[in-house]
Amino acid sequence: MLIWMWIFHSGYLRDYLSVCVMLFPFSLQDTTAYPYQFQDDPYLSPRTSVEFKLFSLSQESGRSAAKYFINNYPKFFTKDFAEPHIPCLMPETVSLCLEEVSEEALKERISLRKVTAAADMYDQLLQAGTEVSLETTHDLLDLICLYGDRDPVQDGEPETEDMEESGEEPKKRKGRVRRASDIIKSTWKQNNNAERIFNLLPERDTHCYSALIRGTVLHGAYEKAFSLYTDMQNNRLSADIHIFNALIAAAPEVRDKYQEKWDVINDLLKQMSQQKVQPNLMTFNCVLKALRRCGSLGKSQALQTLSEMKALQIAPSLASYSHILAIFYKPASAGQGNTDVLQEVIAELAGTSFTCQDPDDVLFFINAMRICLDNKDLELGYQIQSLVEVGENWRLLGDSFQQSVYYGRFFNLLCLMEHIDVVFKWYRRLIPSVYYPNPQGLRDLLQALDTDNRLDLLPTIWKDICTLGHDNKSDLVEELLALMARDGHSHEVQESFAACALDIKRVYDENRGKPSLEWSNSSLSHVASLLLRANKTQHAWDVLQLFKAKNRVPHEELLGEFLSACHRDGSPQKAVELVHLSTAFCLSATPNLAKRALAEFDLTEEQSYATWNDRGKHSSRISSE
Amino acid sequence: MMLMTINSVLIPHRVSNGGGLRALSTNSVRLCEKKNESVTANQDEETKTDAEADPKETKTLVTQEADEDSKVIKMAEQSEEPLVSKADDGGSTTQQHQVDVTTEQDVVTPEKVETDAAMSGKESLLSLLGAMKVDVTSKRKPKIVKVKQSEFTPMSRPPAMESTISMFQQATAEASSQSEKLDPELVAAASAAASTLPNSSQAESQLLKQLRQHEAVTEAQKKGDVTKDLGLIIADMKIGKHSNRQNARPSNQIRFDEDGQGYTHDRGITSELDSVRRKNLFSGKRLNIFAPRPTLWDMDFAHQLSEVTNQMPRNGLEEMIQWTKEGKMWQYPINNEIGLEEEASVSFHEHIFLEKHLAEGFPQKGPVRHFMELVVGGLSKNPYLTVQQKKEHISWFRDYFHQKEEVLKEADASN
Repeated sequence: MLIWMWIFHSGYLRDYLSVCVMLFPFSLQDTTAYPYQFQDDPYLSPRTSVEFKLFSLSQESGRSAAKYFINNYPKFFTKDFAEPHIPCLMPETVSLCLEEVSEEALKERISLRKVTAAADMYDQLLQAGTEVSLETTHDLLDLICLYGDRDPVQDGEPETEDMEESGEEPKKRKGRVRRASDIIKSTWKQNNNAERIFNLLPERDTHCYSALIRGTVLHGAYEKAFSLYTDMQNNRLSADIHIFNALIAAAPEVRDKYQEKWDVINDLLKQMSQQKVQPNLMTFNCVLKALRRCGSLGKSQALQTLSEMKALQIAPSLASYSHILAIFYKPASAGQGNTDVLQEVIAELAGTSFTCQDPDDVLFFINAMRICLDNKDLELGYQIQSLVEVGENWRLLGDSFQQSVYYGRFFNLLCLMEHIDVVFKWYRRLIPSVYYPNPQGLRDLLQALDTDNRLDLLPTIWKDICTLGHDNKSDLVEELLALMARDGHSHEVQESFAACALDIKRVYDENRGKPSLEWSNSSLSHVASLLLRANKTQHAWDVLQLFKAKNRVPHEELLGEFLSACHRDGSPQKAVELVHLSTAFCLSATPNLAKRALAEFDLTEEQSYATWNDRGKHSSRISSE
Repeated sequence: MMLMTINSVLIPHRVSNGGGLRALSTNSVRLCEKKNESVTANQDEETKTDAEADPKETKTLVTQEADEDSKVIKMAEQSEEPLVSKADDGGSTTQQHQVDVTTEQDVVTPEKVETDAAMSGKESLLSLLGAMKVDVTSKRKPKIVKVKQSEFTPMSRPPAMESTISMFQQATAEASSQSEKLDPELVAAASAAASTLPNSSQAESQLLKQLRQHEAVTEAQKKGDVTKDLGLIIADMKIGKHSNRQNARPSNQIRFDEDGQGYTHDRGITSELDSVRRKNLFSGKRLNIFAPRPTLWDMDFAHQLSEVTNQMPRNGLEEMIQWTKEGKMWQYPINNEIGLEEEASVSFHEHIFLEKHLAEGFPQKGPVRHFMELVVGGLSKNPYLTVQQKKEHISWFRDYFHQKEEVLKEADASN
């Protein structure tokens, strides 16, 4: 901060923003901190990706609620303290002001995106015989086509019953997946307002056709789009770039065979060049996206498309490469062991900083990392990660879900391929600032620890598991216990394992009654044996009592270990109790235990009698069965 | 007083001291005599030049205070008039005519000096004034002003001659109580100008009302809703900035100061350059004819792009950058002219040297002129109004006095 102030006041840099941007090396991410947006409120420190989503959504919905109130009750917000005026803090107009029938009123409805009201107003204007200017008509058609003749859910508008009845997904809810389904769900109705107004027009120019074709493609009426295009050609109008882009995107939908799909696209491209329409990035991205559905044809044509882009000096965006990768690496045929294309792409991109040019750009990193994981190519994974770290590229990782998938794949790859020390370096760097591992990610980490014989780190991992809120995942906890109990270790390690086991036991006890965490046979045995190995005999006996309470049966080896512990402690009374317990569990090992107890311990008359009795009970029960 | 400082800087010693001193001594005498009365002050330096041009004029009175500086203004405005020996004349007029004196802080109301001749004219003026609406600045009038206005309806008292003194006292008291913020001198000048009208109290109240409105706008803008008003003003602003430029250049003023020959009206290349100089070659607005209009589709596409990318700030600096872009934060380094971009192209002299706007539509001399010069002097010191607002303010008075031309003529006060 001091450096910042100094540079600031030295007066060499006059532009504030350039100062800030220049200072980014000084303001590197603090990897031990939670994301910046949660730092205001320590209570809102997310520990899992679910909590992350919950907290960011609640933050966002709080903002939306405030915005809703300000916009709908502007009379309470008339004071403007700021000088100069700050427009974004003042209420926006969300309701209609003009009531009379006029073109101005129509324009107002269009700018407020009131689809139905705008269409009604247009009809009233026509009935009144008023001429609506061409520009306004264009805007109206754009509006109706974009929203498919349905009112969009306004930001900050309360959800109402009829909206759900109409099957419209409220846009207010965040998440791209829902938004995509929103578009798929909405369908183009035959003869809707857009088509009706379009047919009423005395003269239709390219813009009108453009609006309609884009609208029909967006809302799934692909055949209709192509028939409109034919109609337009018959009227000797030349198409614009948006029409071609929309039609190329729709091309795979109107044909079934791979070759036919490609023929349609090829035709459209040729017509573009005939009509002297200059293609743009979106044109080629649409072509590449369509090629993903052209099967074997895709590979050859995709490379040619890429060369065409280069010849036209259109720089491919991340989405273009993402489509290329998808064409060459089908998810189904994992493990081809050939990452040549990805390597070339990464070599091409290395060190470049990107801006988002296509909504599909955000899929690149996630796809590239998947291919690395499938092919277990650690080197490429590192290259992709370093590309993410260039400039503002991290913004192109997409939303929090996509980001966690990306880092999950990267971390998985690290656990599989990398030495444990390096894994831990990344572990400390990614968690919790950018990545919240899921139970699977942590299990990968445990396996990596096992592979590199660093099981002594398990207690620290357990602490992280607690912090990340995964201490209620029984399979993860059991795997941890199994790893700790599997081998004998040095005395210090056993001590720490025992402490960890006690902690786990505490968590189990606290979670009593919840179905998520139940004592299983193996987990009880592991805890007991860990405690025994650390000479925490009393705690181990407590655990042994739990077997009875939870209706679990201990292993014979565990009882053997207990007997050894009794011998070590020199407490024959305990040994007798153990034999009793074993009898109660009807273990087949009871006679052996009893024999060992009699042989190894100095038992009193009474005790040896009881032990014999136990052995006899067991034998008689066996014979009766 | 305000006016005096600025003008005395510009043209310091135009008046010889003899007359002034004499007048001063007279004043002190008069002051002793008349301190309990309400006294008049409808005398201006215009009337003095007036007297100079037409020595038979007997009606003019001289206010010693305003004498020096306003005469100087006069000279600046009308350089072609001979100015020599003015002071002597002034001195003589002081002796010739009745001299009424104001102390600086006192509010002085005019004594009725007109003859009763145009009584019917006065009646018509009364109705005229009663019907007059002050709506120049009504759209940005804060509520406080409205309240004041309603309190301040023109008095219905008939212009009875026998009770003038008490009436004026009352009017003065009223004016001062209702508008304590108004500069007493301005009030004095307003009453001086008003006194030339037949129903002077009503006219005065009209003028004062306008002044108060001016005050209220200033206050409001000072307090910070300046931008809202500016927004409104910019919305319907249509200034031809070059129209008055040749008179407005400070260099002309300075030249005038140096040689005393008045404006040279130098329209050489420098004045043309002056308008160009402070603008960058490409900083001007474009024609906006070939600009593609962003369609709804474009907006939706941009919205999609911003939705899919992660726009969360990673640290405080990024957040501050974001806020700066949204306009929620000050731009650094601190610039106290931020938000006044439309004023940036207006030079200071257009704010300060407003006398040129009096060249048209106002009499060259007389009480109206004096009043307007005080108004202009006040405006030139007001940092809270835009140049356009100042021009509007002046043009309101221009219209007002233009409408009252007949009445003024009848009252023989227009010149």
